[in-house]
Amino acid sequence: MQFLSRYGRTDWFGPLLVTILAAIIVGSLSPSFLSAFNIQVLLLAVAINALVAYSQMIIIAIGEMNLSVGAIGGLAAISFAGMMQVWHMPILPAALLGILIGLLGGIINGVIISLTGISAFVITLASLSIYKGVNLGITEAQPFYGIPNLVKHLGNAPFLGPLPWLIIPTAIVGFGLWLMLTRLPIGRCILAVGGNRHAAELSGISIRLTVIVAHALSGAIAALAGILLCARLQIGQPTIGDDWLILSFAAPVIGGAVLTGGHVSVGATTLGVVIVAIITEALVLFNIDPFLVQVVLGVLILWAVGINRLREFRLKPLRRA
Amino acid sequence: MAEFLFEALGISKSFPGVMALQDVSLQMREASIHALLGENGAGKSTLIKIITGIHRPDAGELRLAGTPIELTSPRDAMAKRIGVVHQERNLIPRFSVGENIYLEQLAGRPLKPLRYPELYRQSRKWLDLLDLDVDPATPVSRLSVAKMQLVEIAKALALDSRVLLLDEPTASLTPHETVTLFKVLKRLRDDGVSMLFVSHKLEEVGELCDQVTVLRDGRNAAHSQPLQGLGRQDLVQLMIGRKEQIADWPARNFAAATPALALKGVSTILGHRDIDLTVKRGEILGLYGLVGAGRTELAKCIIGQFAVTEGSVEIQGKAVKIASVADAIHRHGIGYVSEDRKAEGLILMHSVLANAGITVWRNLGRHGLPLTDGRIRSRIEPFVRRLEVRTPSLAQLVGNLSGGNQQKISVAKWLAAGVKVLIVDEPSVGIDIKTKAYLHELLRELSDTGTAVLVITSDMPEMITLADRIAVMNDYRIEGTITNTRDYEEMSSRIMSLIHRVEAA
Repeated sequence: MQFLSRYGRTDWFGPLLVTILAAIIVGSLSPSFLSAFNIQVLLLAVAINALVAYSQMIIIAIGEMNLSVGAIGGLAAISFAGMMQVWHMPILPAALLGILIGLLGGIINGVIISLTGISAFVITLASLSIYKGVNLGITEAQPFYGIPNLVKHLGNAPFLGPLPWLIIPTAIVGFGLWLMLTRLPIGRCILAVGGNRHAAELSGISIRLTVIVAHALSGAIAALAGILLCARLQIGQPTIGDDWLILSFAAPVIGGAVLTGGHVSVGATTLGVVIVAIITEALVLFNIDPFLVQVVLGVLILWAVGINRLREFRLKPLRRA
Repeated sequence: MAEFLFEALGISKSFPGVMALQDVSLQMREASIHALLGENGAGKSTLIKIITGIHRPDAGELRLAGTPIELTSPRDAMAKRIGVVHQERNLIPRFSVGENIYLEQLAGRPLKPLRYPELYRQSRKWLDLLDLDVDPATPVSRLSVAKMQLVEIAKALALDSRVLLLDEPTASLTPHETVTLFKVLKRLRDDGVSMLFVSHKLEEVGELCDQVTVLRDGRNAAHSQPLQGLGRQDLVQLMIGRKEQIADWPARNFAAATPALALKGVSTILGHRDIDLTVKRGEILGLYGLVGAGRTELAKCIIGQFAVTEGSVEIQGKAVKIASVADAIHRHGIGYVSEDRKAEGLILMHSVLANAGITVWRNLGRHGLPLTDGRIRSRIEPFVRRLEVRTPSLAQLVGNLSGGNQQKISVAKWLAAGVKVLIVDEPSVGIDIKTKAYLHELLRELSDTGTAVLVITSDMPEMITLADRIAVMNDYRIEGTITNTRDYEEMSSRIMSLIHRVEAA
């Protein structure tokens, strides 16, 4: 019991339990679920969706939200594909430029939010529309097909067993974020601003700079997600990012993030992504109508929020120790 | 070496609609403790915010060791080794004690990795200094209010400040913790630190401080004069412009009155235990306690915002279950005037009419009738007039009114709702002395008409003026209830001994 209550307080324990349970249940009902190929497909989805979730998570950490995550990812994806097809740019510079575009998109969000003091919801709603509009203006809603073979290969092939190349950048970003949020002052500042903005300001933390840094990171990570998805789809789809919004919130929330800011967990958010991926995968394996994925995702969010709320209540009495 | 370590000279500051400070000066010597006194709203906090770089003065000059300085942000002030313990909570709840203590330093080096063991070892030093026995790795959210306050002080000490401002540092401390703090402050003084000490407890000021500056209505009533030779009454006179007066209202007898609100053995989800409390019809019961004693929290449980877990709540002699705030207002006639007028009491961007009328909408709209301004007006106007709210019209936005008038509106809305039990939390925070006296008369009149009033206040003179009986709360329990004799010395010592008793045990 003591064991349970101790781990019950961490963010990762619940999601980990659910992940293992889900894997066992789905695996026993459908043995092909645990096949190498299936795991590879699962990891490909996780690699990209985890970046989408991180991109939102870092904004949740400062107590704001970023509706333009998908629009930034989409814009970066088509820029990456377009630069390679139209300008025949080598892969690496194209990818770096794509990330730079995302970084810039995020910085614009952050600068406008911190200069005007208008809520991030409104600003990113507007920039969502602008970035998406630019995307459609460039592509005229037509995909770019000229993706080099190497990119296509990296976007799908494994480098070791069932481990796909794509999880390498995701793992690096995940580790970097964990390091930043737990060990680097800039990450602690981000959480401090989310935890109590007023106190953070009085402690000499520059709110403005912190907000801009968080949005810049969010933009860059969203762009990376877009570029990886472009590689995986082997095509520069203008619609990339259109369906990211719900997932971007769902995974951090499943991972115990507090939407008012100040508390997020990289590990638990990643597990949130894995849970969503397993459920999606299961529905495919059992030939269930994909519309159910959306319903299940919604139920999952409600469930996670409920659990978080319960945990907060259990923590309360400790306050007066 | 200049004669004064820190000076604020001729400072003026106005906010839209308010002249907060007018030509205020203050001179702090090295190795001394300087008291800053004044009533709520006299401008103390504004002055502190100017000295720490949060606000910039409209006129006047700040000098550090004789050299004029400009402060544009809290960072600026810290860099010049001006530290502050703010009145409001200034900690990140989920961060550890140690990290909170060193937050200022961390913000300056965004990319240097944190080494927690080292950080905790260093913060241990400041915690030991304050006799505070907590593990630096504990999240701040798990501490009691008093311990949080001490952590804030540790945080200011860790900055190694030459000038240290303390805005009511003892508000939530027990006497024992206060004694420890004073020892530390005296040691800092001997080390050469110049401190500014803000407190409402004049006894503390007399014990600790060397000089005093008093503000009244945003001006200097006294400017950096030695504290020696000034008695309590002198200080009060400087603060309020006249001698302290406890209104000489005749004692009232409630032996025959029926209880309007009674709590019997009540425990709540917020941590109250065995609360017994009775407010009779027409009586004013005062609920006294230090910050963090659980008074506001009890009020919120009574009005149904948080659950009562044990015991019974009786309204007009009948046991009831209050399930929600709406229930408390509309079925049981309990109103609550929040201490946090701006955040919980009023909707500042709405009109007087909308604010005062909010409690009568449900009643007026009962039979599907439309809520016209005229119908609302006819219900609330008598009360707005009776309380003499000074407003150009009922359409005026509440945010544009003075604090006193805002407070009158928060009372008016409950009168309009026709409540039989009114809970008033810190009624005179941020309102001037005249309005305060008027508000006291108003509450007295209100009780004379049969309304039961529960007053929560940390202002001892206010408590002794208003209450018929005083219940003393400490650590979420009622320590005792005493009948008010309106003799200040006697009452304050009896109240404090009820709180201390727990300390001694």
